[in-house]
Amino acid sequence: MRKSTIRFLISLNLAGTILSCNQYRHMQRIQSDEFCIQKLRPDFNHAVYKTSVDVVGKHISGILIVKRMPDSSTRVVFTNEMGFSYFDFGFPPDSGFKIYLIVPQMNKSGVIRTLRKDFELLMFRNTNGSRYYALKDSGLVYHAFPQNGDINYYITDNNCRRLIKMQRATTKKPIMEAFIFENSQDIAPDSISIRHFNISHFSITLKQIPAPAAQ
Amino acid sequence: MIKSLGLLSFLLCILYSEAQYPGYTLLDQPETFKISFTQATGKTETIQSDFKQEKSLSMLSENINSNGKFWYRKNDKIRMEYIQPYSYIMILNGGKIYIKEGQKENKISANSNKVFQQVNRILIDCVGGSMLDNPDFQSRIFERSGTFLVELIPLTKNLRELYKNINILIDKKDYTATAIEMFELSGDKTIIRFQNKILNAQIDDSVFNIP
Repeated sequence: MRKSTIRFLISLNLAGTILSCNQYRHMQRIQSDEFCIQKLRPDFNHAVYKTSVDVVGKHISGILIVKRMPDSSTRVVFTNEMGFSYFDFGFPPDSGFKIYLIVPQMNKSGVIRTLRKDFELLMFRNTNGSRYYALKDSGLVYHAFPQNGDINYYITDNNCRRLIKMQRATTKKPIMEAFIFENSQDIAPDSISIRHFNISHFSITLKQIPAPAAQ
Repeated sequence: MIKSLGLLSFLLCILYSEAQYPGYTLLDQPETFKISFTQATGKTETIQSDFKQEKSLSMLSENINSNGKFWYRKNDKIRMEYIQPYSYIMILNGGKIYIKEGQKENKISANSNKVFQQVNRILIDCVGGSMLDNPDFQSRIFERSGTFLVELIPLTKNLRELYKNINILIDKKDYTATAIEMFELSGDKTIIRFQNKILNAQIDDSVFNIP
């Protein structure tokens, strides 16, 4: 192979690597309505989920309760099957975050920050910012809401009728991805799957428990 | 003066205790209970029962109900098999904990985790009757018709961060636990009630096997 060909292939490979580092670069900015995703917002008025958390080879399971309170805040409580509470978080109506309870083993800033951001993404919090923009990528629209240091993406079909998935990302690549299933405006999603890319093997799955278990 | 104050505090303590557990009175001779209790639990080799569990989240006005089957074999073997709201099996055997949730299996060495070790011991002590000897708790005993109530107040830092107190309700007929009530600092509580108890029946080893 001639030297120039080798040089060309190396350059191409290098360019590809650089480009692939930014997974959003190839997308085109488009005009879109930032409010269109609001109709896809999951209704977390009241839901009880069987929950599995896998992180670095460890498995934790339990029951997660999401409930809207009379003051319009949302409480998220996670307990194990024997009733032992892991955490109890409160999300006031507009913004903010309150820890009502967390076991010492989970009381670490990294764990709390990650869980808070995960729930905020799922609950469509902070989706009325003026920094909204939209990207288009082969049949999908990425509705972007820059947060403090991260970008929350709500990825819909072209017509903004179906929520395909959600991502929390840096400016270059996703660090977490969430799928919700059987979502509609008046009931909580039947199941939710969360996968983190920056923490190895960290995933959370939630499956709604039928009403009789929770009263 | 000092004597009067002492008497007043004693009376207040009794009034507070009775207000805390309506219908119950504080035993002034707990030693008598302890002797009878130790004798009765000494004869209990195995327990099989159904259980119903209710977790009450006070601030959320929310209850989570579960139920399942329970097995105990002296001194340190327990199997709790939740049937509702979903299948979940927990086996405590010696210093090991085995959990099966759906297709997921998890083995934990209780000795490697201080809190697990303590929670593990609470359950075994409550059912096996050795809770009064557990130095991690301070105990008081109350009674009413048909039932003793053993109140356990955690003394160690780890447990104090988890529970305000744990109460065990004991049937006066056979001195077995009819319920365990776990009160968290947040005001939430979990009650496990044991029903349809069978004492000293043969239980196959496989029930407690950790694969």
